[in-house]
Amino acid sequence: MKISTRGRYGIRLLIDLAEHVDEPHVSLASIAERQSISARYLEQVAVILRRAGYIRSVKGASGGYTLARNPADIIIGEALRILEGDMLIIDDLRPGEAESKLQHCVRTTVFDRLNKRISNVIDSVTLASMLGTVDPDASYMYFI
Amino acid sequence: MRISTRGKYSLEALLYLALLPEGDFASTRSISENTGISDGYLEQLFIPLKKAGIIRGIRGAQGGYLPGRPIKEIYVGQILRAVEGSLEPVACLSAETCPAESRCITRHTWTALYKEIADCVDSINLQDLVESYNTLDQEEYVI
Repeated sequence: MKISTRGRYGIRLLIDLAEHVDEPHVSLASIAERQSISARYLEQVAVILRRAGYIRSVKGASGGYTLARNPADIIIGEALRILEGDMLIIDDLRPGEAESKLQHCVRTTVFDRLNKRISNVIDSVTLASMLGTVDPDASYMYFI
Repeated sequence: MRISTRGKYSLEALLYLALLPEGDFASTRSISENTGISDGYLEQLFIPLKKAGIIRGIRGAQGGYLPGRPIKEIYVGQILRAVEGSLEPVACLSAETCPAESRCITRHTWTALYKEIADCVDSINLQDLVESYNTLDQEEYVI
């Protein structure tokens, strides 16, 4: 029952970009070094975040990445779902899939509740609040 | 971020045992017939569950298993930890081995998430599961 490295590294990539907003763009190599993550793996994570519109790539010899959204608008739960596929504790019932009364009871009494509580936590955190910039007046700093 | 089949099947098997009249026990074969979980897999799951005192075995040809203590003292969290190990959403929370711990920005969020998960599973016991089972309408389900 773990968040994978893809989810964890993806969030660290977003944090690193948010911490370096004063730079026009940040190279993946420098993030990889600061975060002690392999650059090749980070590239895979960056592709997912770029396709989902979280980060933008800057082309050129000194190219790199930059945040595509205001950190206050990046909800950690949503980013995690993009990176991980979903954040469910157990697979949803497939359409037409039958379950026994026992299974149904465990699902509704345990798993549904757990899923809801997990969502509540991760959907209440934004990249900005993670960085400690919950003050809306301060968040303009991160607007790019 | 999935609970494995170990956790899922253990909860189903324990709910089955909890539904038995108090003091009754069931063989893995009859648990298997009633839950659809193979008896080989049940035997595997029952080793850590027995060790944790969550179930108790009755030896002999007519033997079987029953809850190891009153069902309202058996929590979902105890069952899941026995078969899944730690419920931390990331491995670095309790290990205290991460060199970046003091300056890790994500740690607070992962800690809050872990607390929420633990609070949830440690607040539901087998008695709660039995009660919600009894409120379900039998007709709608297979097996």
